[in-house]
Amino acid sequence: MSLGYGAVGWNRQKRIYDRLIVGGILAYLGVFIALGLALFPEATLETILLRGLGTCAFLLLHIVLSIGPLARLDARFLPWLYNRRHLGVSTFVVGLFHAVFSLVQFHALGDENPLVSVLVSNTRWSSVSSFPFQQLGLAALAILFLMAATSHDFWLKNLTAPVWKALHMSVYVAYGLLVMHVALGVLQTETNPLYAIVLCAGVAWIVGVHLLAGWREKSRDVDLVRARDEFVDVCAVDEIPEKRARVVMLAGERVAVFRYDGKISALSNVCQHQNGPLGEGRIIDGAITCPWHGFQYKPDCGRAPEPFTERVPTFRSRVVAGRVQVDPRPLAAGAHVEPALIAGEQGGERNGS
Amino acid sequence: MAAEPHDPVDGEFYVGYMPEAPPRLARRTRGLVLALAAFVLAFGALLVSGQAGFGYGVFEYGTEREFEGVIEAAPYPVLAIARPGGGASRYLLSSFGKHGAMPLVSDVVGRRVQLRGTLAYRDGLTMIEVVEGSVKPVEGLTLPVEPAARDLGEVTLIGEIVDSKCYLGVMKPGNTKAHRDCAVRCISGGIPPVLLVRDSAGNASYYLLVGENGESLNDAVLDLVAEPIEIRGQLRRYGDLQSLHAAPATFRRL
Ligand code: FES
Repeated sequence: MSLGYGAVGWNRQKRIYDRLIVGGILAYLGVFIALGLALFPEATLETILLRGLGTCAFLLLHIVLSIGPLARLDARFLPWLYNRRHLGVSTFVVGLFHAVFSLVQFHALGDENPLVSVLVSNTRWSSVSSFPFQQLGLAALAILFLMAATSHDFWLKNLTAPVWKALHMSVYVAYGLLVMHVALGVLQTETNPLYAIVLCAGVAWIVGVHLLAGWREKSRDVDLVRARDEFVDVCAVDEIPEKRARVVMLAGERVAVFRYDGKISALSNVCQHQNGPLGEGRIIDGAITCPWHGFQYKPDCGRAPEPFTERVPTFRSRVVAGRVQVDPRPLAAGAHVEPALIAGEQGGERNGS
Repeated sequence: MAAEPHDPVDGEFYVGYMPEAPPRLARRTRGLVLALAAFVLAFGALLVSGQAGFGYGVFEYGTEREFEGVIEAAPYPVLAIARPGGGASRYLLSSFGKHGAMPLVSDVVGRRVQLRGTLAYRDGLTMIEVVEGSVKPVEGLTLPVEPAARDLGEVTLIGEIVDSKCYLGVMKPGNTKAHRDCAVRCISGGIPPVLLVRDSAGNASYYLLVGENGESLNDAVLDLVAEPIEIRGQLRRYGDLQSLHAAPATFRRL
């Protein structure tokens, strides 16, 4: 959250997560190298290692990119999301090893600085089959580096959320570059159709799972109003489980309507951290808790508890004859709204901020 | 059977900073981790086993041998070693890394020398990676070493330009697209460029690429490596080496 970056505990889940990542990477490389040398005794260890590292990094990137949409489709993937940053940084590190070994293998001990050589050796930009594929990999690695370097919440705060989010959306640019890096690189040498099929399947999976998650969210968004005017009926009080929310679409915006302790509060569904769905969270210790990374907001004002500073827009609500009604006009982020009382069925129309 | 996002696992709710995951979610996550691990390992095994193979070039890495013969410039540096039964075997020379051997032997061209080096060989073509400082002139026979070069007329050949050092076994694969940048670096550094031609049965033959006036073509072919190329030129054979003499401007990409 906003403060105390240095003090983020390496808690039990983080430790388990990190061990699984490192163990998984080592096991993959172990299988790849041992089997590679057993099946191809004439091969050189350098090439097997290069290919092991490259395929490992690319596979990791597929896993990283799958976690977001899978968590949106099924909340049981949320434990994978919480420390996704560690998986992203690991992807960069494995990719970096692949790049450094390639640089040494293909460009070192020559008549040109290896870092210059990688840029100028192949300049057949007008060809498809001979297109300079190493530069594509380098560009993708540069993006992954920027993302890994700024992955901590410290940078989210310092770059401001929109800049940070734009920067981290560029992972899809990196992914595209890597697909080309593979298609125009090793696929031009290894002509077994297996590799083209696997690459296509990977791209289809990534595109498919993103489209599916987006489509599922869209299909749930039945917009209850077009115009932003008076209170709108959203659901019966009983349809909202205690300490949880129901997400409704009001004039183009997702609103999370929470029920807790005999009260109703409505807030923007969008978490200020990384746009997590607040309405899929819970009220814990009196605060709305985002299901993605656990940022918290007070339900009556949309402000994070002190000393944190995040704020989300709030909405006025009232309870009429067992039905919840929400005013679709958003109030300012952090504006106090008296919660609607369920028992008395009086609305919280007063805006007391 | 995706659960509603509102309902992680039958009402369990967990955020990563909480000390322990609730039991059903923990069990399910463990199962998923195991399944993913099994998939990842099987996937690695599938990828590694589908590779085409790495060629049977040999680089005797770590083994140095002594050689004695006559240095020729063809125009690339070659060591002609007398065969016991007469005639000579000609070995291409290179230096350490991606460097040609000319700087090591330029002042002993035409002379008999002893040198130490490491062998790389494939399909009857051999290269010595010469140990720097090991080249010592010795008294005795100088050029010409029999047999002399023979002109075999004009031919049109289709193949791939490779750097002879990597292709012979220093790197695997030492040709085609994935190796292109390295071939550029090697040929630019003075490694002899060779046209690799395969017949319909897959047998390889090699042709040193030489300019019309007998000059080396290292810089002229850099943009043409690792691609299918057609070259029309004069075929020449001297001993067990073959060379193709043509102006690089006439090399045709296919
Ligand atoms: S998106 Fe990270 S805590 Fe909400």
